[in-house]
Amino acid sequence: MHVSVGCMSDAQRIAPDGDFLRGVLAAGGEDLKKCFQCATCSVVCELSGDTAPFPRKEMIWAQWGLKDRLVADPDVWLCHQCNDCSTRCPRGARPGDVMAAVRRETVLYYAVPAFLGRWANDPKFVPLLLGVPAVLLGLLLLGTYPPALGPSKKLVFSYWNLLPHWVLMSFFGLFSLLAFLAVVGGVVRFWRAMKSADERAGNTTVVKPLARSAGAALKRILTHDDFAVCTAERWRAVSHFCVLYGFLALFVVSIWVMTARYNPLVPDDFAYPFSFWSPWRMLANLGGVLLTAGCVLMIWDRLKDRPHPVASTFSDWALLAALLAVALTGFLSEALHYARMEPHRQIAYFIHLVFVFALLIYLPYSKLAHLAYRATAMVYAEHTGRTRGATVTHEGRDHP
Amino acid sequence: MRLKAAVVPIAALVILFPLGYSLARSVFSWGAERGQPFLAKPETKSAGCVRDNTWMRFHHMDLLKQVRDEAVREGKRGNIGLNTCRECHTNRERFCNECHNAVNLHVDCFRCHYYP
Repeated sequence: MHVSVGCMSDAQRIAPDGDFLRGVLAAGGEDLKKCFQCATCSVVCELSGDTAPFPRKEMIWAQWGLKDRLVADPDVWLCHQCNDCSTRCPRGARPGDVMAAVRRETVLYYAVPAFLGRWANDPKFVPLLLGVPAVLLGLLLLGTYPPALGPSKKLVFSYWNLLPHWVLMSFFGLFSLLAFLAVVGGVVRFWRAMKSADERAGNTTVVKPLARSAGAALKRILTHDDFAVCTAERWRAVSHFCVLYGFLALFVVSIWVMTARYNPLVPDDFAYPFSFWSPWRMLANLGGVLLTAGCVLMIWDRLKDRPHPVASTFSDWALLAALLAVALTGFLSEALHYARMEPHRQIAYFIHLVFVFALLIYLPYSKLAHLAYRATAMVYAEHTGRTRGATVTHEGRDHP
Repeated sequence: MRLKAAVVPIAALVILFPLGYSLARSVFSWGAERGQPFLAKPETKSAGCVRDNTWMRFHHMDLLKQVRDEAVREGKRGNIGLNTCRECHTNRERFCNECHNAVNLHVDCFRCHYYP
């Protein structure tokens, strides 16, 4: 079906994508068609800029199934789902949930290989997606049993000595590399799409060089400045802050531990494990607590009874469940380790590794992909001057 | 809720503290002559350890428990015991305790067994 619409001066032929529309409707945007374009949403949105306000335009693009515009739209990702729009929408069209559904469809659109994108967002495939890493790790265990404990110059008591260190490192290294390449591919295509969409619209302004844009975006991410202006979803800033910093802390400690035996900074007599009061272990425990607390807050936030509930799709629950599983199995294996329960701690750590592996390799296809796409959109927004209006401050609008 | 501006620098400090600590420690101990190796070298009275060194590093506790069970529960006294260890690893403080202290792992053996 092709529809001709008069848009400003030129007539444009638009090509609706029915599948994309159905995807958005199924992923939490089922009230999309109630929208009658009053633009209350764009007005109340604290994150929306003055030059290209959202989410009104995204609502009509989504209604018309204009996939090409939505997947090339940075504004979809500048939205942090404060739901100020959804709570004030006179029609109950829930623009916040529509934006989330569009983000999910965008991740699917840029997913390479595409089938992994479909699988990672479909509950039917959970056993397969968790089973494959479990079987692969299990095969590695069988293939290298009994574990050869290679000599090392440093005293390293591997936490998990069932697999030789180099096998574990190369297994995770290879799959992380594949996931990284998939993310980079998606991000590059997303950037090009945003750029060519702006060029078609005759908008080629560049207000900041790339490096400075990246710095500004990073600052916004780390400070949670964008979350902080939300009014309808006040807890979002706190819970996301806990999850992000908990995740960062655990990531930093993991890298340090994994490379301890090659790290010249680690004293060559005794590398691992850490004592309970070692700064590294304390940071890891703190990170685990933060991650767990943030996930619990987010789950509570989604389950609690309220007048304007947020749509929770499988993709939302899957990421929350995976993060919580990583944190809890981590604590479980630590506890079993201290309790010196021999086969149990090995099994708990095996499950922990499966969840870490799943989180890592399905990053480009799951909701976790937002860390790449949202960051890219924020850099692009800084780069092209599509930032929050100068009239908006943390406290709201300056003028009455 | 608005996050206070101080939260981010504090979070960054907390996350980077262990790295700074490790860096500082390695810088301050740079070139410092270590008086002795981390673990005391065994006095080579016998040809070698009862098991391969790497195996012992990870499984000495399993071996000791196995020997204990055999001796106490099955009445089979073999020729391995804490006294066998003592023949070469004469100094517990400089051998067993070094690693166990480094990881806060309490050694139960010596509450009863004499091992100077």
